[in-house]
Amino acid sequence: MTEPVPVAMAQGSSCWGCYQSLIDIHLNLATVLPLLEIKYWQCVADFKLKDLEGYPDKSITVGLYEGMARTEEDIHLLKLMRAKCKILIAFGSCSCFGGIPGMANFSTLEECNEVKFRNNKTVKDGELPTENLPAIAPVVKPNRDFVDFEIYLPGCPPTSSLILTALTALLEGKPIELPPHTVCHYCDREKKDTPIEKILRPYEGIADPDRCLLEQGYICLGSATWGLCEGQCVSHGVTCRGCFGPPPPITNDQGAAAISMFGSYAPLESEVLAETVLDPLGCFWRFTYPTSHLGAIRIKREEAKTK
Amino acid sequence: MTNEKTIRIDPVTRLEGHGTLTIKLGPGNKVKDIQFNVNSTRFFEKFLEGRPMEEAPRIAPRICGICPIPHHLASLKAVEAAWDVTPPPAAIKLRRLLIEAKQLSSHAIHFYALAAPDFVFGPLASPAVRNVAAVLKHLPDVAVQAIKLMEFGQELCTTIGAKAIHPTTGIPGGMLYAMKEEERDDWLMKVPEMLENIHKTVDLAKTVVNSYIEVITKLAVTPTYYLGLTINGTHDIYDGKIRVMDPEGKIVKDFEPHEYTKYYGEYVSKHSYATHIYYKPAGYPEGIWRANTLARCNVADKMATPLADAALKEMRELVGRPSHHTFAYHYARVVEMVQAAEMIKTLLEDPQIVSTDVKLSDVEPKAGEGVGVVEAPRGTLLHNYESDDKGILVKANLIVATNNNIAGIEKSLMVAAKQIFEDKVLEKITLPEPMVKT
Repeated sequence: MTEPVPVAMAQGSSCWGCYQSLIDIHLNLATVLPLLEIKYWQCVADFKLKDLEGYPDKSITVGLYEGMARTEEDIHLLKLMRAKCKILIAFGSCSCFGGIPGMANFSTLEECNEVKFRNNKTVKDGELPTENLPAIAPVVKPNRDFVDFEIYLPGCPPTSSLILTALTALLEGKPIELPPHTVCHYCDREKKDTPIEKILRPYEGIADPDRCLLEQGYICLGSATWGLCEGQCVSHGVTCRGCFGPPPPITNDQGAAAISMFGSYAPLESEVLAETVLDPLGCFWRFTYPTSHLGAIRIKREEAKTK
Repeated sequence: MTNEKTIRIDPVTRLEGHGTLTIKLGPGNKVKDIQFNVNSTRFFEKFLEGRPMEEAPRIAPRICGICPIPHHLASLKAVEAAWDVTPPPAAIKLRRLLIEAKQLSSHAIHFYALAAPDFVFGPLASPAVRNVAAVLKHLPDVAVQAIKLMEFGQELCTTIGAKAIHPTTGIPGGMLYAMKEEERDDWLMKVPEMLENIHKTVDLAKTVVNSYIEVITKLAVTPTYYLGLTINGTHDIYDGKIRVMDPEGKIVKDFEPHEYTKYYGEYVSKHSYATHIYYKPAGYPEGIWRANTLARCNVADKMATPLADAALKEMRELVGRPSHHTFAYHYARVVEMVQAAEMIKTLLEDPQIVSTDVKLSDVEPKAGEGVGVVEAPRGTLLHNYESDDKGILVKANLIVATNNNIAGIEKSLMVAAKQIFEDKVLEKITLPEPMVKT
């Protein structure tokens, strides 16, 4: 038997869904886990941060970092992982693009704190917690602004089969080869290349199960999204919201591509568009705001305030 | 030089999420303070604002990757309450099947991957072996039954929800996907093996409970209030009233979710980004409550299914009602797994589960407020949204499951720390021989 490969799995600010997806390779765990020497995996093994800090630099072959990095502690862990790991993987869409929590950049940190800690339905005049806690940065910055990654594995979460493919290739020392198609490639619905006449909200009416959802008027980001999901939502009658980010190259601006795609499908009066596309930012940039052009402008503006 | 010292446990492990412990000891190892520092927050309440409200059930699941389905459903219920929408009965059955499938897989991962290593290898084993990878190595049969239970739950969620992690098929007014007959048939065929693995889990749990009975009944025993959903006193995880039990075991309140601001207090602690939720009429800290498995089993008069109810009775003979035994959470988790398994079987056998009448076609947004509550594996989960007349979400208040437990965790840590540092309890109780010696 070959020597197990040293691995470390870290979590920034995130939901743990990417690791749940790793666990969901099910009985393949019986083949994969014995090949790994777990050096750090906070939710599974009892190694502490001090242990990770004590390992020699580049002594860990593969590292996964799930989540974005907004607290001082997240950023420390991210840089630490970079120092200790030979191959560092941006694991999941939060780690690749900022993800859903990147939408916090629509507001200032003050506005966020106000709702969370100071005043809401169950809190009156609360005070900000500060004791023995890491500070929270003014904005969510993309992880790739802090460190370089060898591999980006997007998805919210990456599917279990994608994770298994990637891990198997890494453990065998082979390159990870991923198909470049968009979600539409995996969608069985018929496209007739007809323009959208009316924009529908997803709960409206009953959709034709055989027609392209977008052409029926339901906003779907499939054509601007990397299809590593293999179309799991669209095959269940659900529009795509872009959770795998842009098709390669991963630095594409998914939101800009999605909204321009949408514009070409919906040749409607601008007033009609403004009235019926209710939330362009939260729809087209839901998973990638921090790494988008628009999001970069916002980050600069917030950072300028604190300087 | 002082005799004071601070112990930091960083990070708290075998937990999905972020925590550290700060324990302050004074002269003579007197425990002066315990802090459970939850050190990350992402501000979902803020960025849900401004979104079309039907998108909230697609965004909110990202709060938790282990319990995205309860978030999806609590969110849907909040939107439907605000817009005054009632989904068709078959859609509700699919949602129930979804949450029971999640309950099964979450409890399996918790019991086998997060908790079992302590009991299998003993709490003093090295971190390199005290984990699920070592369970796989030393007890492959146990690991396989665990993986199969997790797989059953997660894959059933995928069938109904499109994705087990961050499901997408629920929509205000119903479901976008109806279960196909052949899918139902496939799942029914897998039920007997699943039930067999449940029985093996119950047997393993009883073995563990019996060998660790001294630890369970003596360590970290912490009286608190408890909360959980029941339907007329019967344990339920999808619907019902919120029931509160006081530390003496008296039911002090059964209330509708929309009345929650009268009974939920939220204390913003200095040292945690996760706030402390408590029973407001009793004040803080007196009203500290706990949610999650043991709380639900405490507040319920009975379980909803026969085998689970028998398991609850057996548990009560051992630890009573209410049980304040923090370690009995694991036992209650297994009782609930039995119920989830029985519920899944019943729902799959119900002909209506493959009905195609699962979605309304005439949903209209309106200005209003709604509260949606379900039981997540780790406790009562509440979403409260306000909608404007176009159906845009203008205000959100989320009381997530674990926030109900933060203060209780701290309280129970204080009890345990005093026992360990002041009473030297570890020298007094005998730990059983580990099932696997390493």
